[in-house]
Amino acid sequence: MTHENTQITSPPSPSEILLHLGPQHPLQPGPFLLDLKIDGETIREAELKIGYIHKGMEKVFEDRTYIQIMPLTDRICYLASNANNDVYCRAVEELLGIEPTPRAKYLRVIANELNRIQSHLLGIGEYTTDVGFLTMFIYMVRERESIVSLLEAITGSRLNHNYARFGGVANDLPPNYKSMALKTLGEIGKLVKSHDEMMSSDSIYLKRTKGVGVLTDKVASELGVAGPPLRATGVEYDLRRIEPYLVYDDLDFKVITQQDGDVFSRVKVRLLEIQESIYIIEQCLDQIPSGPYKQHVTPYITRPKVGEVYTRIEDPRGELGMYLVSDGSNKPYRFRIRGPAFATAQALPPLLIGTYMADVAAIAASMDSCTSEVDR
Amino acid sequence: MVIYDDIMYWLVLIFAESHPYSDWIRGILGGLVIGAVFGGALVMVYLERKFLGDIQSRIGPNRVGGRYGVLQLIADAIKLFTKEDIIPANADKWLFIGAPIVALTSGFLMVAVLPFDYLLINGSYYAVNVTRMDISILYLEAVSGLAVFAIFMAGWGSGSKYSMLGGFRNIAKMIGYEIPLGVSIISVAIMAQSLDIVEIVEAQDFLWNIMIHPLAFIVFGICLVADVGRIPFDQTESEEEIIAGWATEYSGMRWGLAFFAEYLHAVVGSFMVALIFLGGWNGLPIVGNLYIPGIFWLIIKTIMVIMFFIWTRGALPRYRIDQVVDLGWKCLLPLSLLCLVWSTIIGLVFG
Repeated sequence: MTHENTQITSPPSPSEILLHLGPQHPLQPGPFLLDLKIDGETIREAELKIGYIHKGMEKVFEDRTYIQIMPLTDRICYLASNANNDVYCRAVEELLGIEPTPRAKYLRVIANELNRIQSHLLGIGEYTTDVGFLTMFIYMVRERESIVSLLEAITGSRLNHNYARFGGVANDLPPNYKSMALKTLGEIGKLVKSHDEMMSSDSIYLKRTKGVGVLTDKVASELGVAGPPLRATGVEYDLRRIEPYLVYDDLDFKVITQQDGDVFSRVKVRLLEIQESIYIIEQCLDQIPSGPYKQHVTPYITRPKVGEVYTRIEDPRGELGMYLVSDGSNKPYRFRIRGPAFATAQALPPLLIGTYMADVAAIAASMDSCTSEVDR
Repeated sequence: MVIYDDIMYWLVLIFAESHPYSDWIRGILGGLVIGAVFGGALVMVYLERKFLGDIQSRIGPNRVGGRYGVLQLIADAIKLFTKEDIIPANADKWLFIGAPIVALTSGFLMVAVLPFDYLLINGSYYAVNVTRMDISILYLEAVSGLAVFAIFMAGWGSGSKYSMLGGFRNIAKMIGYEIPLGVSIISVAIMAQSLDIVEIVEAQDFLWNIMIHPLAFIVFGICLVADVGRIPFDQTESEEEIIAGWATEYSGMRWGLAFFAEYLHAVVGSFMVALIFLGGWNGLPIVGNLYIPGIFWLIIKTIMVIMFFIWTRGALPRYRIDQVVDLGWKCLLPLSLLCLVWSTIIGLVFG
């Protein structure tokens, strides 16, 4: 099982069927086509075809001014919109040679971690429907609602936050935010823990997930898979730890890893990361300094110096990087996004070979890849 | 409960005595009983939507017909019956049309032998049912097996790969589960020394079968959940894997009928559990039925079994098809044989 051999080359033999899973299929977060050659219920070959919702975002960005791009970065992946804002903002800040204010750094970390929690909650929720556990999906979405409300209280919107600004953030914390957030986060922490116990103790769930879709650390690194799927294979790779940005240096957190690399571990990593993110936010709310939340020295029209920059952060789904080339005008000359979901998506077909039809749903959902981001 | 006894007396006279219009009246009453079970299936759909909503911290239907959404099902039925009737171009037309009919027929045929009460009238006992058969339990099992054909007809006739996979899954599952289901029923029948449901229920007047023979109850319960195709055994219509399986191509009225047939099976299955293992109309163990008519006991028990079905749907994820077949052949079949041994011992010692 190597990642090179992921194309269906020969027509199906008499005992096999060529099954098109997609472009519209209930298991998919967005349209993509998964061609499966199946023999009974066993998958012999798999081929992934993407590009059904290609939006040409990178090209669109090259025709927008720097500040106009900010709300559009939300739309790269609406579940990681804050991470997208943040990495873009850091790229431009690096080009401009400015630093966000200390308070803004904390605010961005808070928003980032809240964003990670809600993304993981929905990711796990979608995954649980795919193993036939509808109740858990609704619980996860219910928990996500209160997290999204916390995000709304900071950023003003529930889905596409558009929160980061060059040198700061858009809004300060609302009054009494700390007590509100601590209360909600405490409840969510407890609930997620109990959901985790409920899932880990269910024998049917364990049967469905243990040892299924094992991604090895070697294949994962070769394909550039990062985030929870990589950490589930036992590799301690987290940009927050390896290449600390914003204030992650000053914060205490564990890099969550699991050893098996199977479906169960990937979901377990997400469940534990939710707890870790809650811990990070609690620290941030304690440590956050007072002061301005944005810099008023930023010029009205952003014109960075000629140069290029590549920044990367730890997205909920892995390593998100943005590469910008500036030619000194008010628009980027070249814009390139390195999305985490693309790497995750191309790791999917080799995992499917030899598994059963029912595992396709579990494996695909446990990778938590975002079609919107894959196609950009 | 004099009125109840009077009504039952009248009913039983018509059923039992050779009245000149006996066959006609029996037919009409059979229709009424079918209607009642039909209504029971409706109640189950409603209960499921409300109770599952509760489990999943939702409200469930709450608009049509007042706060509790009691008329939601009627609205849904109107919607389904007025939708366009689509038959896919490459479907096998007659199989496609026939599948929901076979499914419903199998459900209705099962209703024919369900007894609801057992009455002492003028010194002799009469069972309240449409047809009294002395092999009614075998009949029930045989007729419920017809539903497998319906699902395979739907799967094959739809002309869709997903539907066909659903049909295949159903066959694989049923072969594995009908055997332990039958064996666990036989082990109960051995204890009652009869294949007649009425006799089996009457044998439980002191202790229920679930107490004497818990293993058979477990085997029967699991097989029944698999038989009616509910979570964790709904692989034939799992939405995320094979897009509702055999029901992929069905829409509107036909889908409604097939869907309804499933609920009918679930209701009749719940009746079977209540009759065979939970004492049927015998009220509570030891103390008897406390002056409450047996039919109410039966209905209460059936509703509890239905609630249990709904609860499992809310609480469990879905098995993979190979695990289901494994469970059937490697676990339930040996267990059911053990049931047979146990009931033979009981039969020899106490029988």
